[in-house]
Amino acid sequence: MTAVVARLRALPSWQVTLSGALFVLGFLIAAQLAAEGPRVRYTSQERAPLIETALGLQDQQNALQAQILDLRARIVELEAEEPGSEALVREINAALEHARLAGGLVQITGPGIIFRLEDAENPGTERDSLVTARDIRTLVQELWLAGAEAISINGERVTTTTAILDIGNAILANSAYLAPPYEVRTIGADDLYERLTTSASFVEFVRSRIEPYGLRLSFSELDEVTVPAYAGTIRSHYARPEPSASPIP
Amino acid sequence: MIRPQARWSMTIVALILGILVVAQLRSQAANPGLSDLSAQELTLVIANVSTRNEGLRSEVADLEQTVASLTDAHDRGVSALGELRSDLAALEAWAGLTPVTGPGVSIRVTGAISGEGVEDLLNELRNAGAEAIAVEDVRVAPGTVVYGGLGSLSVENTPLVDGFEIRAIGSPQILTGTLTRAGGVIAQLGATYEGLTISVTPLDAVSIPASDRDLVPGHGSPSL
Repeated sequence: MTAVVARLRALPSWQVTLSGALFVLGFLIAAQLAAEGPRVRYTSQERAPLIETALGLQDQQNALQAQILDLRARIVELEAEEPGSEALVREINAALEHARLAGGLVQITGPGIIFRLEDAENPGTERDSLVTARDIRTLVQELWLAGAEAISINGERVTTTTAILDIGNAILANSAYLAPPYEVRTIGADDLYERLTTSASFVEFVRSRIEPYGLRLSFSELDEVTVPAYAGTIRSHYARPEPSASPIP
Repeated sequence: MIRPQARWSMTIVALILGILVVAQLRSQAANPGLSDLSAQELTLVIANVSTRNEGLRSEVADLEQTVASLTDAHDRGVSALGELRSDLAALEAWAGLTPVTGPGVSIRVTGAISGEGVEDLLNELRNAGAEAIAVEDVRVAPGTVVYGGLGSLSVENTPLVDGFEIRAIGSPQILTGTLTRAGGVIAQLGATYEGLTISVTPLDAVSIPASDRDLVPGHGSPSL
């Protein structure tokens, strides 16, 4: 041991620096090559401006979503300060909070599970070794059936109007572009995981879809999982409350 | 004393290192996945995200108007109960807490289909902009799943018999067009399930009931 240390001390400092730098270099080359990885690369010229446009639109989308959440929070404050008859105002505000919770417009935290669903490690050319919108939908449906109370996919809350579609090797949820790996967050009762993993249809999904194609599904059960609020549009253009519906107070 | 040779090799290594660090950081900064899409797929992403942004913009405009009228009422010391009531009605209708009515489609499903197939159909309805959906008398809300194998379908513990109906509110033309287009979801389901018939009828008025379930999460609490 002392001999090794003595030898290292004898090395000129530039040699040590150089080996350090070469080590980092090797690491970076490996990382770069790994990132080039299995997904298909297209190299045509017209794509660069399209990617720019898509990124620009996504930035706008993020800003709009943040704005919607801010405005909704402001409205909740203003509605709580309503100067009308106290009892009536309290009643309407309670109904508003109930509706917002039911619809998924409120971020909630509670016991739950976080899943991570990824493509197979070496997907090759087979479409089946990539995670599809159908896989995400199946996981979401199985979670609902097991008693999940709130679900999000990569930050997009699953609501009554959420469609999940394939786009290239990624998905669209609430029309937002989401790329793998997919993180599915869910909140539910303590037996949620047990109910999920003992469900025949979930076991069948793992056996027929996850295992044979090498898709990677991992999870962790946590005491506190935060499922974000839905930050999309809820205005109806066609649906109207039914006239015979029970009158609002 | 450093030899000139060593200085040169170190300079070159440092240069390559710098270039690679920048390349690595840049590739990580770009949205993962977008660079894997073809030009055609990128166009689709752009179309979808711009449509969504338009929707988000009109939502922002609506919300700003609500904030303005609430603020105005506060400033004048008058009640804004009317505003609160219409906000509540819109929220409850969207969330599935109250019955809704409007133009849309009626879909009749005859023949053997699995729960997964029906869910594909519902997913496509949502994609086509359906604002409210019911399977027979069950309102489709968060957590509503049609499940079961061929011939033993259920939704929220209600068995579905052959020839069951799905109703959706939205643009009758867009809903019908999206479902029935060549290579669309009905064509795909028809190819998967032998003897399956799905007919779509556009309607001027469709009624969708409220959900029977308690839709408020019982195990999570609101957090900021």
